[in-house]
Amino acid sequence: MSGLATRLYKGQADLNIIGRRKIWFTVAAVAVVIALSSFLWRGFTLGIDFAGGNEFQVPASVGTLQHAEDTVAKALDEAPNPDGEELGVASAQQVGGGDGTYLIRTSELTPEQAAAVKADLVEAFGIPADEISNSAVSGSWGRQVTDRALLGLIIFIAVVMLYLVVRFEWRMAVAAVSSLFLDLIITAGVYSLVGFEITPSTVIGFLTILGFALYDVVVVFDKVQENTRGITASSTQTYTEAANLAVNQTLMRSINTGLVALLPVGGLLFIGAFLLGAGTLRDLGLVLFVGMGIAVYSSIFFATPVLATLKGYEPKYQAHSQRVLARRAAIARGDVTPKAPRSPKQPAERSEAEVAALAGAAPKVGARPTAKRPAANRSGRPGNRPSRGKRH
Amino acid sequence: MAPPQGQMRPGRQLAVLGLIFVILYLIVFLGGDGSLKNRLEPKLGLDLIGGSRVTYTATTTGGQAPQADQLEEARQIIESRANAYGVSEAEVVTEGDRNIVVSLAGKSDDALANLGQAAELRFRKVLKVTADSSGAVAATPTPSASGSATPTPSATASGSAAVSPSASASPGGQGGGVAATPTPTPSGSASASPSPSASATPVAPGTTLTREQIRAEVQKKVGAAAWAAASALQAPPDLSTDPTALTTLEAFGKLSPAEVDSLDPAMQFNVPTIGCAQLNLRQPGSIRDISKQAVACEGPEKMLLDVAKVEGTDVSDASGVLDQQGGGWVVSLDFTGSGQEKWTALTREAFNNEGGACDASALGDQGKCRVAVVLDNEIISSPEIQGVLTGDSQITGNFTSKTANELASKLRYGALPLTFTQSAVENVSATLGTEYLQAGLLAAGIGMLLVIVYAFFYYRLLGTVIFLSLILSGLLVFGALIVLGRQIGYTLNLAGISGFIVSLGVAADSFVIYFERLKDEIREGRSARSAVPRAWVRARRTIISANAITIMAAVVLYIVSVGTVKGFAFALGLATILDLVVVFLFRHPIMTMFARTRAFLSPRVSGLGRVLEKDTDTEPAKPRTPRVKEA
Repeated sequence: MSGLATRLYKGQADLNIIGRRKIWFTVAAVAVVIALSSFLWRGFTLGIDFAGGNEFQVPASVGTLQHAEDTVAKALDEAPNPDGEELGVASAQQVGGGDGTYLIRTSELTPEQAAAVKADLVEAFGIPADEISNSAVSGSWGRQVTDRALLGLIIFIAVVMLYLVVRFEWRMAVAAVSSLFLDLIITAGVYSLVGFEITPSTVIGFLTILGFALYDVVVVFDKVQENTRGITASSTQTYTEAANLAVNQTLMRSINTGLVALLPVGGLLFIGAFLLGAGTLRDLGLVLFVGMGIAVYSSIFFATPVLATLKGYEPKYQAHSQRVLARRAAIARGDVTPKAPRSPKQPAERSEAEVAALAGAAPKVGARPTAKRPAANRSGRPGNRPSRGKRH
Repeated sequence: MAPPQGQMRPGRQLAVLGLIFVILYLIVFLGGDGSLKNRLEPKLGLDLIGGSRVTYTATTTGGQAPQADQLEEARQIIESRANAYGVSEAEVVTEGDRNIVVSLAGKSDDALANLGQAAELRFRKVLKVTADSSGAVAATPTPSASGSATPTPSATASGSAAVSPSASASPGGQGGGVAATPTPTPSGSASASPSPSASATPVAPGTTLTREQIRAEVQKKVGAAAWAAASALQAPPDLSTDPTALTTLEAFGKLSPAEVDSLDPAMQFNVPTIGCAQLNLRQPGSIRDISKQAVACEGPEKMLLDVAKVEGTDVSDASGVLDQQGGGWVVSLDFTGSGQEKWTALTREAFNNEGGACDASALGDQGKCRVAVVLDNEIISSPEIQGVLTGDSQITGNFTSKTANELASKLRYGALPLTFTQSAVENVSATLGTEYLQAGLLAAGIGMLLVIVYAFFYYRLLGTVIFLSLILSGLLVFGALIVLGRQIGYTLNLAGISGFIVSLGVAADSFVIYFERLKDEIREGRSARSAVPRAWVRARRTIISANAITIMAAVVLYIVSVGTVKGFAFALGLATILDLVVVFLFRHPIMTMFARTRAFLSPRVSGLGRVLEKDTDTEPAKPRTPRVKEA
């Protein structure tokens, strides 16, 4: 077993992802430009919910699609129409597997008109009224759902920024949220380019993607944080290299996560699109499938590169990088032996938490177990590693 | 050797999990009623079993959300209306800060569509009456749009009988009743709407122009000459003597209902080309202001109405009753204490024709003024006042039991504190619902199967742990659904099923995090026994942070969103929390136990040992990780 697959499996892919960040940024920029210009030129295909309209669904057993459509059109002509608005059939299609149903969409009707059409259908097809499904949405409803979604987006980003700043730091929060925006823009771009229909369910699906995208980024950043804690204490690795290592170490996990998340959503999409033909399942499935796929990409190729770039502006890490590079050059020249003793500065730079962790949280060999688990934030620190002398 | 901290006593954790299961399912079995099958059925949404749902959205003038207590009051009124209409078992809930959702699972009932319709009830004295002559300029005489709102004690056949409902026919006890002056039927006469209502879009909330701005627009639209002519009108022009008036004012007939609404009541009334069709289609609440005069229609009659002196909230009760003296059906009306005072004052004013003069055209047969009962933008009844009413009052007329009860129900529950528009209607047939349910379950099944296949393929025997965890999660979710359905009325809908399916990925992911960690540890040369607790401690942190994000997303979605998506968010959040429970109480202890077996590191069994195949003979990749260096 060798090759990329094995290396991936072992977490040793050793791909230089962050080093090539210019490529990824270019890719992202191109995608964003394409998406934005598509918004401008092509716009979006808005579903029935945004324009408002009615939908009638009858079992396919009533006859041909043409017959069903004609019947609805005729019923619309006969429906009471005091304000003289043009009523018509917007689309008619057969949906669903098996016998399926006919889905006929019309312009927006008043409740009286909808009731009249339904009554006409009952008469024309000779089926009971409760076998006819009908629904109506007003344009303001679609707008309300979208407004709500936007509000949700703003609140969510605010809450999550706060959480990430507390849990990590502001640079990670910024990197995570910028990758989130990238996901949203590209997902919307795909929708605009392909012309997928946007419904309120789609809009809400976007919000779910946010959760997933951040979830993924958090896992990667968690590893980055672990790898780079106390990094300035030694001079063997720059921040960028440590971050790159973290991405490589979590690469297999990112791919696995992406797969296990996409598999059920794929099932959802399959059922929604092929068996039901329309509705919440399909709309949600599609947006989640597209968005999650992009989220996996951006958590690897965008979030961490952005983080490394931000960190590159920090004087502390700039100086550290220079020190590491200078030391490497020195080793290359043979001035310094690679196994140099630790720099005297190091103890001073160890964080207090680490010291505390070393002092208290690490289990002593042979210590009597206590009921308490070590606090999560301590035990995860590298400093918690038991001494080499521990028996296995 | 004693196990290190953080992983001891797997048995205890499993016992806690077992206890949770026992308690949950005890509640499931003991809490419900009916047969065993009933108790094991979660509450399903109407998109899964068929039914009707109507969403009403409150419209306010400024576009801002209404007050919570007003919304709640409206909800109660709609609920009592549902019961009054005989739509039993309808569930009426508020959603978000401006929606009221009426749903009826299992069967569809079109009556739901009427529940939010009636808006605000006002009693206004009729000042002037004129015929809707807008039809004179229109080519097609379609019947006017008064529709279902008028009780129309149809005057076609019984013109004389109904028009003179004498005082004797209204034995209100306290000096006469209120007689409904029925509207003459349109009878195909000139009552057509010339209004090209394509432009009849109500002004969107939030983006509203002010009334003045709209009026300025109208002024431009109709032209200076027509505007001046309209402003000069003191009364509706007599079309028989002045036929040019129609052509001069023709432009007014093309205004949208919102534009008509911006005009002064006097102008709305006086300009003959403004028709009832336009007036009736004004945005809900257009004439709710009690301190302003208003114009509204009853059938083909356009009426100028005084300020509202009695409101719907003043009515305490109304019912359709069979008149004791054989007069047929009448509507009896009770007022609240303060309402009664206002009503007495209003009837005195109308009876004596005091205060704002009521025009000769507006007098009833007895020469008394009429009082219009205005619901929303239309007049539902305009009885002539036959006495100063100090007690119970009656509206008489040519009612049937149905029309009398309808009017009574409108009077009784008409006082919605808010105006509503019907924003979404859904009628799902039972067969379609069943199909949706099957499809949803199939999607969930396929999702679960794919994840499990992948888990076995990638993690070999460890896949069993994933498999068992997902089963346990599923059982927990199922139990929780039943209990929550009973306790807080949570109904599982299609969107909810999607939420659970999406959460499958989240649940499986926490394994990936853990197992990949485990591989890291083993790669570093650790034994299974020590790798498991170490990997656990580190993975736990990541899992909690990552799941916290999902839960945050679910909570924000749940609080903010409207419609079926709420169910989606709830399901996602619930499943994520239950997943955490399973992670802590099942997976961790089971892995601890598993790590004590010999088979654990066998590549064929766990798929974990595989990372060692190549590395065991060489040194275990030391320079790669900073942690190793620090050690």
